[in-house]
Amino acid sequence: MFILFLIALCLYLVSTIFYLLFLAIDKKGIEALGHFSLLSGFIVHFISTCFRYFQAGYTPITNLHESLSFLSLCMAGFFLFLKRSYKISILGSIIVPFLSLVFIWALWLPSDIKPLAPILQSYWLPVHTIFAFIGNSIFFISFFVSILYLSLERGIKRKKFSPISTRFPSLEVLDSINYRCMSYGFPFLTIGIITGSLWAGMAWGSYWSWDPKETWSLITWIVYAILIHNRLTIGWRGRKTAYMMIAGFFSILFTFLGINFLVGGLHSYL
Amino acid sequence: MPIAVFGLNHNTAPIEVRERLFVSEETIPRLVRELQESGVDENIVLSTCNRTEFYFSCKNLDSALDKFYQALSRHFSIEKEWLEKYTYLLTDEDTYRHLFLVASGLDSMVVGEPQILGQVKDAYRLATDCNTSGFFLDKVFHKTFNVAKRIRTETKVGYNPVSISAMAIELAKKIFGELKDKKTLVIGAGEMCEIALRYFKKEGVGDIYITNRTFHNAQKLADETTGIPRPFNDLQDLLEKVDMILSSTGSERPLISRELVSVVMKKRKQKPLFFIDIAVPRDIEPSVNDLENVYLYDIDDLKELSQQHLSDRLAESEKARSIVDEEVKKFSQWLRQLDKNPLISNIYEKVEEIRSRELKKILQKNKNTDDETMKNMDLLTKSIVNKLVHPHVTMIKENGSPAILELMKKLFRLEDDDEQDVDSWHKG
Repeated sequence: MFILFLIALCLYLVSTIFYLLFLAIDKKGIEALGHFSLLSGFIVHFISTCFRYFQAGYTPITNLHESLSFLSLCMAGFFLFLKRSYKISILGSIIVPFLSLVFIWALWLPSDIKPLAPILQSYWLPVHTIFAFIGNSIFFISFFVSILYLSLERGIKRKKFSPISTRFPSLEVLDSINYRCMSYGFPFLTIGIITGSLWAGMAWGSYWSWDPKETWSLITWIVYAILIHNRLTIGWRGRKTAYMMIAGFFSILFTFLGINFLVGGLHSYL
Repeated sequence: MPIAVFGLNHNTAPIEVRERLFVSEETIPRLVRELQESGVDENIVLSTCNRTEFYFSCKNLDSALDKFYQALSRHFSIEKEWLEKYTYLLTDEDTYRHLFLVASGLDSMVVGEPQILGQVKDAYRLATDCNTSGFFLDKVFHKTFNVAKRIRTETKVGYNPVSISAMAIELAKKIFGELKDKKTLVIGAGEMCEIALRYFKKEGVGDIYITNRTFHNAQKLADETTGIPRPFNDLQDLLEKVDMILSSTGSERPLISRELVSVVMKKRKQKPLFFIDIAVPRDIEPSVNDLENVYLYDIDDLKELSQQHLSDRLAESEKARSIVDEEVKKFSQWLRQLDKNPLISNIYEKVEEIRSRELKKILQKNKNTDDETMKNMDLLTKSIVNKLVHPHVTMIKENGSPAILELMKKLFRLEDDDEQDVDSWHKG
């Protein structure tokens, strides 16, 4: 089964090479090869995750190895989904290397299947984790979209363009991708937090115990809630959206990894 | 058969001289016929506002040149000495090297400008209509179109825009992406506005509103092009509605203040606004650019960008020049091949190859043929082939005109790759 994960990794790496090459040589054929290997990698990765589910007997998002792997799977999937409606090939040149690195990290970590801790044995496990991680991966993508937006916007404002920026999608397209990320990612994140709280209520007897992970996920949620509210009411678009998306990304990063490594707490098995 | 070009351009002659030698499209047919009568075998006249060039081919250049000059000075009624002072004469390889450079925009005032290729095509068409272009110039011009196309696809020499209107569109695309659902406002009714407006329309920009302090002029411009005229008092409403604004008025003080734009942006819920201010003094307060989601380019910004694009084009033109060198070399080789002697031996080689192959096939099928029959079959096939080829070879020997050589090459399928190149262009 591990071999399947390695095949997926190889395909992601091939895709990375093609996308980096595409950065240097602006040829459709190279991009198509990158796209094809990413898609194949995604499919193999998905199948191997299903295998792991059947082998372990539980949803494989219970430790750092499993969640990083699931995160890269979701990023690949959402990027492929966005590519269907936008011409954003150039984004592949940062997103594909990034998700490959995340996946390498996942495979680096011990991947043996261990019996599930009793507290995690619940039907809430798949619901809570899948929603939370899909939400996270969508916001990870929008982080890179925002970086592209800010660099292009800066070029237009200051009237100085880097050669690569001529291949970026327009500001309007980047902003509308961010808007889409927002409108998909936020519901996932919200449901992830609510189901987590319900699960906590059943497992620990208290819906909300201000554990660091809970607190930080609430902070993340508030960042995105402010953004959505202000976008709809007073038009926080463009640069403001991009800045908030970047802030939200770091907040997710801290919630997901920072807490585990620095703080600890109830969620420390992840 | 020598090919040559004689002419002048913006580098060799001042505008007063270029004006005198300008030939309009209507007079070109008469001129090419006159020149043809002066004794050249083929000729094509290319005339644009920056250059007038005569491409011709003749058997003996020295003797033809004198008559050619005479015909020219007669047509333009100018002194022969004067013609020599501002002009250049290039022959053979230099001729088509020059034409390749001209057609791909490398010899133009604005490097990489695309119109010149169309003008070269027109010149060629006019000459073909008058039957003054023949075998050689046909080949040279077809090859030229080929080279120009190759340069356009393989280099970025014509890639970045340098005109004001084209740069405005380019920038707008960076901001908005698709422009067909975007609205534009043109403030002013002068010549610059009109040029920009026509260009925007051509580029498929959505609704275009025109406003001007003298409403009558806005209406006139709208009638001449296809905009929607609006009174100047509607300015704020218009700013709320449109996405792109081009302003070029004679106003001494700014028409659009930072406060106004700031109010408008709130009403627009921060939807981006793109201002192009090509007026001097400026129509839009420069600090408007500091507002969020507002982008302002004034005439100096555009000029600077244009300079930069131009230097990018110059850098790319090195690449284009090496393509020209490569193509010149290939074309010279091809011209040399038109020599008739190698052709005859090529024909013999080709038919011998076919004959021996077919003979071998037959002999393989009938393995028990005796030596005597084999020898007879060999003699028979040889004599048939020689009798069939002989008239062709005689024709080449007696009348080695390029067109005949070309025809023979086709008949015996002796074309090389380069040749097929030219042909495929011709069909396309």
